[in-house]
Amino acid sequence: MGILRIGHASLRVMDMAAAVQHYEKVLGMKTTMEDKHGNVYLKCWDEWDKYSLILTPSDQAGMNHVAYKVERDTDLDDIQAKAEAWGVRTEMLPEGTLPSTGRMLKFNLPSGHEMRLYAFKECVGTDVGNVNPDPWPDDIRGAGAHWLDHCLLMCELNPETGVNKVAENTRFAMEVLDFFLTEQVVVGPGGAIQAATWLARTTTPHDIAFVGGAQNGLHHISFFLDSWHDVLKAADVMAKNKVKIDVAPTRHGITRGETIYFFDPSGNRNETFAGLGYLAQRDRPVTTWTEDKLWSGIFYHTGEAVPSFTEVYT
Amino acid sequence: MFFTPQTTVQVEVADTGERYACTRTESLLRGMLRLGQRGIPVGCVNGGCGVCKVRIVQGQVQRLGPISRAHVSADEEAAGCTLACRVAPLTDVVLCVEGRMAKPFRAGSAARGAGVSNPQPTR
Repeated sequence: MGILRIGHASLRVMDMAAAVQHYEKVLGMKTTMEDKHGNVYLKCWDEWDKYSLILTPSDQAGMNHVAYKVERDTDLDDIQAKAEAWGVRTEMLPEGTLPSTGRMLKFNLPSGHEMRLYAFKECVGTDVGNVNPDPWPDDIRGAGAHWLDHCLLMCELNPETGVNKVAENTRFAMEVLDFFLTEQVVVGPGGAIQAATWLARTTTPHDIAFVGGAQNGLHHISFFLDSWHDVLKAADVMAKNKVKIDVAPTRHGITRGETIYFFDPSGNRNETFAGLGYLAQRDRPVTTWTEDKLWSGIFYHTGEAVPSFTEVYT
Repeated sequence: MFFTPQTTVQVEVADTGERYACTRTESLLRGMLRLGQRGIPVGCVNGGCGVCKVRIVQGQVQRLGPISRAHVSADEEAAGCTLACRVAPLTDVVLCVEGRMAKPFRAGSAARGAGVSNPQPTR
């Protein structure tokens, strides 16, 4: 019941040809559809639904919306009622609003980010099929990302004015969308300010994350790889393709992810990461990172600040 | 020829007085990064995040790619503002830094005047 996983992200790009080249050649996605508005739809080889990324032409970068898939169509009605009761206005978009996709419940998180939920998307199968499948297909390109795994949204946080959209989003995600909290960063006097949170619906440490910043935006969308060596190979692919790497391969303390961060040709940050971290469960005690150890949580090996990582986003 | 130096021009960051040599085929920001120099804030290096916003106060530059209109309006661009990652110098250039990093977490202001030795998680 309820949300299964992240379904897709819709990103704005300023040069469609460069963007498609990036997501195909560097990430290893395949284009599955284009629509009459010039939007391009792509999927990873290990995903079975028709698309997990929508690229839309724009004069600026950033995220249009992020969508999560729910298990049953009736979940959309249930969540709509809960969201409205919580005080969040919703709209049910009819089937076909996005191609190959059923009706979508649309609303804005307290931070303002647009989220959509849907129960149906055309299933086209993974690239290895589901009868006696090989472990991987022969035509993998670039990093060969398995699937879109999660996103991190930057949310307005200003203790001086009392604005904390991280805490509001977290409460909404837990009370209405039934996510559970796995990790958090607390700052300020007595650690009273919840400055970043990681939340799950699956058994991985996060399916969505909220981090406080000066203004709302997209920090990154993240793709799953199998192993640490795949992370290294992904970095090789980026160097070959002159992709701007933000953070070279390292490990997060938070979620334990083995990671690399880089930018798409419009400056939207991507992550490829490996390692499922730990078994995330509702009864697992929440991990807390304190302000003095914040950067060990972010980059475990050095524990040192990398300003571009937290201050640059679209 | 074993050594064919590329023609470079001088870029000066007026705010700090830092100077570096940049080719006329690379962006102002890439040229700075390649030499390990500092002076202009570095973000996505792809025209999207806006942190390398600069104003060209002397010299000529050429656009290399799209610039996010969320960070540089058409009017601003006409007045000499641009993103250092998206323009190459055609001549010697003097620039002023207009962009700045947006502080994360507001940790500094949040922690101002208070210890964090005994933090309590919020739920």
